[in-house]
Amino acid sequence: MDQPSAGGRRAFLQAIGLAGAALAFEGISAGGRTLSARLVHSPDDPEPPNEIVAKILKDRFGDRPIQRGHVTLDMATMTEDGRYVPVSLESDLPMTPERYVKSVFFIIDHNPDPLVFAMHLTPRIGPLAIQTRVKMRRTSWIRAICETSDGEVWADYAKVETSLNGCG
Amino acid sequence: MEIGKGKILVPERITQGDVIRVQAVVQHPMDTGFFRDANANMIPPFFVQDVVVTYGGEEVARFEWTSGVSRDPMIAFPLRADREAPLTFTYRDNKGTSYQTSIPIAFQPG
Repeated sequence: MDQPSAGGRRAFLQAIGLAGAALAFEGISAGGRTLSARLVHSPDDPEPPNEIVAKILKDRFGDRPIQRGHVTLDMATMTEDGRYVPVSLESDLPMTPERYVKSVFFIIDHNPDPLVFAMHLTPRIGPLAIQTRVKMRRTSWIRAICETSDGEVWADYAKVETSLNGCG
Repeated sequence: MEIGKGKILVPERITQGDVIRVQAVVQHPMDTGFFRDANANMIPPFFVQDVVVTYGGEEVARFEWTSGVSRDPMIAFPLRADREAPLTFTYRDNKGTSYQTSIPIAFQPG
């Protein structure tokens, strides 16, 4: 019976080792990617459905991650009249001169003009609790995004069903 | 409807340092430009697009609005009432017309 030569075995083991290392590396990097993806974008965060929404997010936030948290968007899951949809939005982010929510963006993905309103704030506005009313064309994901004075971006999302088109 | 007529609601009793809830409403059709009137003519877009809130002359908030905000817009938000001064909302619509509503923030004595 032929024994594998020492050189052959060494080469074989090296190859296995390299493959193993490569696999391990692959695994770690994949793990890292999953982890960072989970931190900035959880699977239940809605993807921008069209280029208009993607452009709004790009224009306003560039490449900064939009993280979920610190914002609570409270909306009924179903609304009858798309002309008057109540919005309630809160945030536990600080409102101090050192750090505050400098802007709030409210986006309805499937409206003709998705960026429905933006609010630019100062620390004189107290802990955030905002109520207003908006129009909806049809069932859509809604994004409430807060940008802090030090550049962080926090968001909450809600899917609202509507039957009566309020936008025309 | 009297376009531009507004109202600002704040609590009756305010003590210095309170975070108060400010609620503002303004009469405006907020037409999107997608609807037709009874004669099937398009109703052109007509909406408030810029709101500036000042407190004692200092800008404390500014809003960008579109016709996606409901007719006769309402907005409520908190404000740190730290001085006696007028609170003023200035609305400007897409035809360039401005409307202003103002109330004094005054503290309860004692």
